[in-house]
Amino acid sequence: MNRKENFTAGFIRENPVFSLYLGLCSTLAITTTLNNAIGMGVAVIAVLIMSNVIISLIRNITPSEIRIPVYIVIIATLVKVIQMLIKAYAPSLDTALGVFIPLIVVNCIILGRAEAFASKNKVLDSALDGLGMGLGYTVSIIIMSAIRQILATGVISFDNPFNAAQNIFTLRIIPDDFAISMFSQPFGAFCTFACLAAGLAAYKAHKENKAKKLEKEAK
Amino acid sequence: MKKILHLTVFLALIAALAGGALGFANSMTAPVIAENELKAERDTLKVIYDDVPDSAFVVEKENVSKTIQKVFKVEGKGYIFKMKVTGYKDGTSFLVALDKDGKVVDYVAISNGDTQGLGSKVTEKPFREKLQGADALGSEIDEDTITGATVSSKPVIEGIKEAAKYQADHLK
Repeated sequence: MNRKENFTAGFIRENPVFSLYLGLCSTLAITTTLNNAIGMGVAVIAVLIMSNVIISLIRNITPSEIRIPVYIVIIATLVKVIQMLIKAYAPSLDTALGVFIPLIVVNCIILGRAEAFASKNKVLDSALDGLGMGLGYTVSIIIMSAIRQILATGVISFDNPFNAAQNIFTLRIIPDDFAISMFSQPFGAFCTFACLAAGLAAYKAHKENKAKKLEKEAK
Repeated sequence: MKKILHLTVFLALIAALAGGALGFANSMTAPVIAENELKAERDTLKVIYDDVPDSAFVVEKENVSKTIQKVFKVEGKGYIFKMKVTGYKDGTSFLVALDKDGKVVDYVAISNGDTQGLGSKVTEKPFREKLQGADALGSEIDEDTITGATVSSKPVIEGIKEAAKYQADHLK
């Protein structure tokens, strides 16, 4: 697998959310507004790249018996640092994401990539894998939260995360009377998730069938 | 034996490095976080006295008792008490401002974890209006402020009385 393939794997083929079904707890909970999704996505990308790099750096000296506790200590430290930075410089984001920032520690995407990729590959590849997977996660939750926010409130908006009072854009798409507030509830999260996951599965199946057909014709 | 020692030392080393990194990050961010929290707290205090500058609010005492969490001195106005009292479930957090004679200047509920519509009445306007101007040291405050919601309102009244008593005894 070359570097480009490795980087783009996170978007469709191995999309962590809709294809590998990893990190769903936070995905379902925080995808209510675009702000939350972008904030969470950036935090996860930062943690994922740094944890992948550090774990890849120490892969040759880490005794395999204690690799999981070592990874967890590293990931937990990074998450705590990110949490302190968010608390200090983007307090409104901290209030909105609440307990889901510390819970990045147990986001299976991060430990999953550490175990499956970073512990076996070189530093640069691991960093790229972290960026690719993190972007895959971020794009997924941005799409999901955009759909949920539009359906639930009829509006798509984005505020400056460093200053909650500053609105960057607000766009009304559905008139207020036709908004379905249920989509901000857990039901809406599962419903949106199921539709998007089914869509991605269908796309992948379609692509596979096409490839098979081409193969047969070639024979 | 050697193997166990190796593993222990390695894990301890990683943990020590992690601790160092956390300490460094904490020393960088802690002052900013404390400032943010103070600013947020002052913003809630401004609900009561919106005409005084930020610097007029000074933290006088902290963790006085289980219910009195913080006491702020407001220059020229009196004291504001940040209280947390028990209730049916999560209890009520509120601010109460008293003047020098123990009269309630204002009451602001911050959060209430009790049943919507009944216990949560302590967060609503009529309850606040009834308390404004009441003498916290006298008996008029004891009168049934909300009928049928004593689990939530009683601790709030008791809390206000405790604050007034504390002010009379210690803050003159």
